Amino acid sequence: MKTLWFHLMPYPELPDSFTDDHRSVWVDIDPKLFDPKVAHHMYNDYIDELEFAATVGFDGVGVNEHHSNAYGLMPSPNIIASTLARTCPDVAIVVLGDSVALYNPPLRVAEELAMLDCITGGRMIAGFPVGTPMDTLFAYGQNPLTLRERYHEGVELILKAWTEPEVFSFNGHYNKLRYVNCWPRPVQQPRPPVWIPGGGSVDTWEWCAQEGHVYLYLSYFGYKAGLKTMRGFWDRVRAAGKEPNPYQAGFAQFFGVADTEAEARRLYKEPAEYFFNRCLHVYAGFADPPGYKTPATVRSGVEGMIERAAREATQRRAAPAGLGGKSTMSFDDMVEQGYVILGDPDQVAEKMVEMATRLNVGHILALCQFGNMDRDLAMHNTELMGSKVLPQVKHLFDDRWEDHWWPKPLADHERHRPVAR
Amino acid sequence: MTSRYSLPFRDADIVVDAVGDGSVVGYLHGGVGNPGVHPFLTSLAAHDRRVVAPSLPGFTGSAPCPDIRSLYDWVVVTSETLDVAGLAGCPVVASSVGAMLALELAAVRPEAFASLVLIAPFGLWDPGDPTADPFARTLSGQRSILTADAMATSQFFDDQPDRAAVDLIEDNVARYSSRTSFASLIWPIPEFGLSTRLHRVTCPVTLVWGSDDRVIPVSYLERFANALPNVVGTHVVSGAGHLVEWDAPDAVAELVVTAPFYDR
Repeated sequence: MKTLWFHLMPYPELPDSFTDDHRSVWVDIDPKLFDPKVAHHMYNDYIDELEFAATVGFDGVGVNEHHSNAYGLMPSPNIIASTLARTCPDVAIVVLGDSVALYNPPLRVAEELAMLDCITGGRMIAGFPVGTPMDTLFAYGQNPLTLRERYHEGVELILKAWTEPEVFSFNGHYNKLRYVNCWPRPVQQPRPPVWIPGGGSVDTWEWCAQEGHVYLYLSYFGYKAGLKTMRGFWDRVRAAGKEPNPYQAGFAQFFGVADTEAEARRLYKEPAEYFFNRCLHVYAGFADPPGYKTPATVRSGVEGMIERAAREATQRRAAPAGLGGKSTMSFDDMVEQGYVILGDPDQVAEKMVEMATRLNVGHILALCQFGNMDRDLAMHNTELMGSKVLPQVKHLFDDRWEDHWWPKPLADHERHRPVAR
Repeated sequence: MTSRYSLPFRDADIVVDAVGDGSVVGYLHGGVGNPGVHPFLTSLAAHDRRVVAPSLPGFTGSAPCPDIRSLYDWVVVTSETLDVAGLAGCPVVASSVGAMLALELAAVRPEAFASLVLIAPFGLWDPGDPTADPFARTLSGQRSILTADAMATSQFFDDQPDRAAVDLIEDNVARYSSRTSFASLIWPIPEFGLSTRLHRVTCPVTLVWGSDDRVIPVSYLERFANALPNVVGTHVVSGAGHLVEWDAPDAVAELVVTAPFYDR
């Protein structure tokens, strides 16, 4: 099993009253809440954490893309990935990724990811999310009717730009390019691995199963809530006549490790509450605009991650206080329902194996920094995960399955040697 | 005489609701389509008219058209819809997004309509007095902003009685398709250069607005009246919201049949 250290980069100084005083963490969040001086420290702390994770046993580090929000402050994952490309020389770098439909033309994504693959010597994983409705439809103004077709056309263009041996013309509905000639081209041949993050779209299962891409379920709500989704994906894989190789799947999970369970509860309570109550405080009116879902997903009744988060936040706010209603979710609920896996290293390892086995996922995207967790605590959590948890779980699946979706970097003797300073 | 029938449209079908007998008048719907014959169609037909109301592709039973990717595609599809439904050259009542499409079509095909009664068309944008975003809200919010009385559009938004569970699922998918098509026509800002084309609309136009329109401010009535070359009447219906014909079907029907140059 491979474990990647994944960062959302949340804004760490939302006020205590944020949930009550503001309707949404996304799209129309008050710009006055943003302090660039806070962001200066935040970005550098977060990059420190990613670089640290790359030295303590994780197989890779991961970044992603969001817009107009305090949930995750990486409008450009490629910028963060480019800093890591140089400072994290021994791990995979997964960009999860570029929201393809937002780039015009998406050839830009092909070029930038190829740059990253060249700089890293072939350690880059290309993630192509559709993107949340808040990012794509509201913040970036894409039309809901054409978003997914534009996305698929963009992915087709990128993959072709990486693999076609000659200059070619691309006559798409949204991209008209007389001369496509991607310089640079990726180190990995025929192309870097493609991972598709999803939040529950039925069509994404189908597509990943058929195309052989990794399906990565970005869940906030623990593995038990993810069972139905992953079962849906594996059903599609079997229907496509393929083996259920766990490495064709990934799952995101929050972890909090300490020397004892009691200590873990003490340490991670505040950051978990910050994340689930403030960072997921999405106005329901931004979470489910018409057209974002495909007809198949509407018909299936599958609820997306963001949609669920927004619905639950709305329900909590609407519940009368006198009847036990409260505008925030309790930490005990988060732990009880598995949103955060907490405990000493042995407890966490046991739960991690249970999770990976039941979901049948070979790639875990570990969220060891969440909410307003500071750098010291994030590194403490990361160090315990890397040194005491991962050694217990890393061999899971190795006896039967091969990871065909992992980067294939240059051999050591082919790799660039940094100049001594 | 009331009927719902399908007509071939490219590789699929569109649905048409027709009611009444008499001279033909077309109806190009707003964001909730034609969920069957609804009170406005009946009210208008009561004036000895045959009302023909096609649902545009993607709306209320008409199959989505995979060829639609831009406003230009929508205008061509609207033109084809008029032809298929036998409405080319007829007087037409058009509402909301349907009114915007009617104006776009009239600008490039002036003979498409004998006359137009336009109910709160989209298509202009004043940054100092912007139209609302009907979709940055919950489903109940999306519903309530369209009409003064949220129950006025029950025929579209609510599950209909005596439907089997499996049909209710498909009804929900069809409703979602209609809402998607509505959103796609005005996303993200319902201004696509119409103001530069309005001078081409030469047929007689009557403008109708609801006094309580919370989607497009009633001040837009004057903007359209000033920009269109052949406005023959303007009316504000007291107490009605954006989809005036759903809030006040009888009043709008009366305005239609008394509008100057209404008949061919």
